[in-house]
Amino acid sequence: MAVAVRKRGFPRRNRPGAGREALVGYGFVLVPMAVFLLFFIYPMLYALYISRFDWGILGPAGNVGWKNYSHLWHDTLFRRSIKNTLEYTLWVVPAQMALGLLLAVVVNQRIRFRTFFRGAFYFPALASSAAITAIALYLLNVNGLFNKVLGLHKTWFFDTKTALPAITGLNAWTTAGTMMLFYLAALQAIPTDVYEAAAIDGAGPWRTFWKITFPLLKPGHFFVAVVSIIGAMKVFDQNYIISRGSGGPAYATYVVVLYIYNTAIKDIQLGLAAAAGVVLFVVIFLFTIIQWAFFGRQEAA
Amino acid sequence: MRRTQMLGVLAVVVFSAVVVAAGAQARVNAIPGSVIKKTAVTKVTLTGWASSPAETAALKTTIRGFERSHPGYKVNYAPINGDYPAAMLAKFAARKPPDVFYVDSNVAPDWMSQGVLEPLDSLIKKNHYNIKAFFPRLVDAFRYKGHIYGLPKDWSPLAMETNNAMMAKAGVKPPKTWAQLTAVAQKLKAADAVPGGAPLCIDPDWARMLAFVYQNKGSFLNKSKTAPTLTSAAVRQAVNYYVGFSKNGLSGTHDKLGVGWCGEALGKEKAAIAFEGNWVVGYMHDTFPDVKYTISPMPKGKVNGNLGFTVSYSIGKNTKNKAAAFKLLSYLTGPKGMRLWTQQGIALPARKDVKIPAGRSAFLKQAGYAHAWQFAPGFSKVIDSANNELQAVFGGKESVDTMLAKVQQAARDALG
Repeated sequence: MAVAVRKRGFPRRNRPGAGREALVGYGFVLVPMAVFLLFFIYPMLYALYISRFDWGILGPAGNVGWKNYSHLWHDTLFRRSIKNTLEYTLWVVPAQMALGLLLAVVVNQRIRFRTFFRGAFYFPALASSAAITAIALYLLNVNGLFNKVLGLHKTWFFDTKTALPAITGLNAWTTAGTMMLFYLAALQAIPTDVYEAAAIDGAGPWRTFWKITFPLLKPGHFFVAVVSIIGAMKVFDQNYIISRGSGGPAYATYVVVLYIYNTAIKDIQLGLAAAAGVVLFVVIFLFTIIQWAFFGRQEAA
Repeated sequence: MRRTQMLGVLAVVVFSAVVVAAGAQARVNAIPGSVIKKTAVTKVTLTGWASSPAETAALKTTIRGFERSHPGYKVNYAPINGDYPAAMLAKFAARKPPDVFYVDSNVAPDWMSQGVLEPLDSLIKKNHYNIKAFFPRLVDAFRYKGHIYGLPKDWSPLAMETNNAMMAKAGVKPPKTWAQLTAVAQKLKAADAVPGGAPLCIDPDWARMLAFVYQNKGSFLNKSKTAPTLTSAAVRQAVNYYVGFSKNGLSGTHDKLGVGWCGEALGKEKAAIAFEGNWVVGYMHDTFPDVKYTISPMPKGKVNGNLGFTVSYSIGKNTKNKAAAFKLLSYLTGPKGMRLWTQQGIALPARKDVKIPAGRSAFLKQAGYAHAWQFAPGFSKVIDSANNELQAVFGGKESVDTMLAKVQQAARDALG
């Protein structure tokens, strides 16, 4: 019904029937759009709104202006969580991209059991993060398989020096399959005649990769980097499960989303949690814009 | 052209039809409920978490006991699997809490101060419910600004579990004092009574260490919970004593011992002594039935002191039928309900007039001096920080004094 009312507002097109076509189009996107507005855009704007309040379970207890944001600025725990998240992102994104690209190039070759390898490499991405983490806790246990193989005696997830790197490694491995999928799609979008030309010019496989494949993957790099960074900034499950919500040992795994969770659910300071969420959004948004500028607009579009 | 248009219209029509139908369905569903009410069946909803099948079975037995002795009442038990506080928060925010539900003493200050729990004082008075039979400290855990917001359904203090064979090998008995505990730990080490492990399992966890702080006449907050008291000599001494076991190689943390928690260290014989509550009994019985161990009260420092972990039954502020909810609550926390709930040993009774299950007297002895594991509203991040700082101390990266100063400051900030 809303569609019928709105129809009058549409500019008339030259082509006969174009207005009706648009109407049908909007009719189709109506439901997904409504879901998107209701469950994504509205909560996002609402979070922005409540971030300026002292907000408990039953609603606002008073407008506090920018106090939540200034609290975050001075909160050493929040600063530590930002530092950890950035540090994690800095390591996990290149690792995921390199690993994803490597796997994609491997399974893009005409090798035996290619489909099997594609499935096998993607498999960790299918398992739930909770299950993967539980298994990793066993494998990286002080008496676990990992230590046995390497002849070590380390408590990987419970040592301040190794906890975050261990989670980085774990997540790089689990997400590499997804990155491989993206790279695989990008690889197959490269026209074959470029490779044929390179072969005629006598370029070896190594040179072909660095001079042809890698530069032509630019849109792929951009997409994978964006997805990977957004995913990395949102890291939570593994840290929550391993540290049992405390972000330990000695804050080593305290990340931004864990801060938001603890502030909202345990301390019930929903305004402060929303403010932290807004800060995280701004940081991710800035990163995406920087990448966009860095990789060039035309490829991204 | 016509067909695509038709399709578009059809999509809108189908969508609206689904919405209308769903609404009509909801209305139809509402009718039988009101009819049933006339035939005098009152439904009461009950929510909690379930840690084990045995626990669920015990609760169902208790619920049946209520329904049998209260004809006309029907309990709708719907436990929450997973993140209980998060799920309850959503229910509170929607103003649709269950009628009766669990409240952990640890989250109680937050929920009480946020005004989502119903004060029970007038209901207790009106129904002449005698609360004198509860251990007073457990009721106090659910008291806020002079009102009672829940009655304890059960509780457990910490206790000291000692491995019989290992203690015998070192020729020692369960220690009763701090000095004896140190001596026993040294003898266990000298006798190599715990091969591949450590004499004690001690984690950087305030939910264990605070018991030792109380034993040394220290505390985390002052009595009125308005100021932290962590920079006192009593606290510093207790923390140094607790951390000392790790520093002197007399204890291991659960991760260093290669287990998930200290109870598992006891079961896998990676430690001779652990400090856990009643929950360890069922765990040991089910998982490590062959390991023989003894439960003793916590060692005494300057005084007897301990932590107590308790959970209440509470009623929501927005619960509709509060009278019916209190009927269920008073049965579950009453002598009959609590006996049914605790007789299998899943939990310890919070009332003095309910007999404690066999073999649990070491826990009961400590009821008089156990302090509830509880702080002030908005303290969960303070405790997280306190544990992180303690981990830094265990890792040798921070001094005890620096840690206490930092936690003191964090607590002061949270108190505002």
